[in-house]
Amino acid sequence: MTFLSRFLFALICLIWAACSQAPEGPAPLVVGMELAYPPFEMTDQEGNPTGVSVDLASAIAESLGRPLEIRNMSFDGLIPALKTGSIDLIISSMTANEERAKSIDFSDPYVNTELSLLTGKASGVTSVTDLNDPSRTVVVKLGTTGHLYAKAHLPRTTLRVLEKENACVIEVVQGKADAFIFDQMSIYQHGKRHPDTTKALIDSFQREFWAIGIQKGNEDLKTQVNLSLAAFREAGGFEQLGERYLGEVQAAFRELDVPFVFDIPDTGE
Amino acid sequence: MILRLKDPRTLPFHLALGVIVLSGAFFLILQSVAYQWNVAEVWGYREKLFKGWGVTLLISIASLLLSTLVGFLTALSRRSSFVPLRAGAILYTELTRSTPLLVQILILYYGVANAVGLQHRMTAGIVILSLFAGAYIAEIFRAGIEGIPKTQLESAQSLGFSPWQTYRHVIVPQATRQILPPLTGQFVSMIKDSSLLSIIGLQEFTLAAREVNSYTFSTLESYLPLAVGYLLLTLPLSMLTHSLERRLRDEA
Repeated sequence: MTFLSRFLFALICLIWAACSQAPEGPAPLVVGMELAYPPFEMTDQEGNPTGVSVDLASAIAESLGRPLEIRNMSFDGLIPALKTGSIDLIISSMTANEERAKSIDFSDPYVNTELSLLTGKASGVTSVTDLNDPSRTVVVKLGTTGHLYAKAHLPRTTLRVLEKENACVIEVVQGKADAFIFDQMSIYQHGKRHPDTTKALIDSFQREFWAIGIQKGNEDLKTQVNLSLAAFREAGGFEQLGERYLGEVQAAFRELDVPFVFDIPDTGE
Repeated sequence: MILRLKDPRTLPFHLALGVIVLSGAFFLILQSVAYQWNVAEVWGYREKLFKGWGVTLLISIASLLLSTLVGFLTALSRRSSFVPLRAGAILYTELTRSTPLLVQILILYYGVANAVGLQHRMTAGIVILSLFAGAYIAEIFRAGIEGIPKTQLESAQSLGFSPWQTYRHVIVPQATRQILPPLTGQFVSMIKDSSLLSIIGLQEFTLAAREVNSYTFSTLESYLPLAVGYLLLTLPLSMLTHSLERRLRDEA
């Protein structure tokens, strides 16, 4: 009994101490992203975070005068992490959509992309409307806009939710699924890697904007982030990123006469 | 009882104290996290969660049986006098225990199962999980068998017992008592490991909760039922083996 109660007392003290620890020094800007989406979020050969979003994050941290800390976490864990305050920003190729805007705020958009289809060559799928049928199997990555799109617009399809993008691609390659709904750029590249078994339909059926996620109601940070985004665009930062990470795709998109991702149309907001 | 109290009558008091302290600590932690609860939205997806729980239950029961069979056969093979069988059993246990389950699932499903034409996701998942757990169970069985003193086997032999009779009357009754605790632990891990099968799109309990989370962004509301759901699977298993252990101890 005495041992048990002493042990429990020590446990409570430990938890108390862990909860009430105050951070010291200048607060770093903690940016959450899933490092599994090259060339936007990835790791280099030494395992350090790199990619478009990492460069963008460091530019923003620099303009805010705070040290940068990248935190790698799974995509569906990003919003909960932001909501509980364990990260300050989400820069993870995240589409700003209505559902997400209910729980977090978004900065101004910095990327414009579209949803596209990677279809199995044998499937005979020619457009997204073919998929709204129980005999069709659609794979999506958990928590992505493709997932939300399928749930809202393809109620009759057989939907299979997977955790990994590469698993989704294999399902299509092996003919286990008819189509994979994902963003245009990735679909284009997957189609190029598996030309014998898949066909990329990059005609878009839904336009999307990527933006930076900010905790709801944190207007100060939102203003600061928007200012640094604008300054970054002004200074030609996005063009440099496009050349550095997306040279080949950028050229291919120009050839296909599809607007490139960093060209944000003036919607007047 | 597991707690080994001096006075068994104080058990409810100790249990109540433990539950109060733990839930109090948990409550304090939740309080310190700025979190807006949104239970109603998650409740709307209860059917999805129930279905996922059912899938996990099915996988667990099937894998429990199959992995025991795999483990038993492997343990016997390791003691066989036929060398290729013994070598195969050793290779299987070592390879399986030295690679991550996640990797095995991906390779076995998208590689092997696809090559042999095993398309049924659930069957493939059960086989993969059973092969993984079977390697550990084989080692538990082997430890139980080899824990029987050699003199007993020699006595059995000198009494004219056949190998089957030796297993049936000498080894199994004694080994069972020894291996029950580690075996229970292995079964419980296996139930929890089944969540990794979501990687190949098996719509089991963890994936269901993660899906609900991605629709509602209500992490704690989706994951707390998840914890309770797994407890409902694992606790009865632990309790069952504890009572089995007690019965076997009383018999001895």
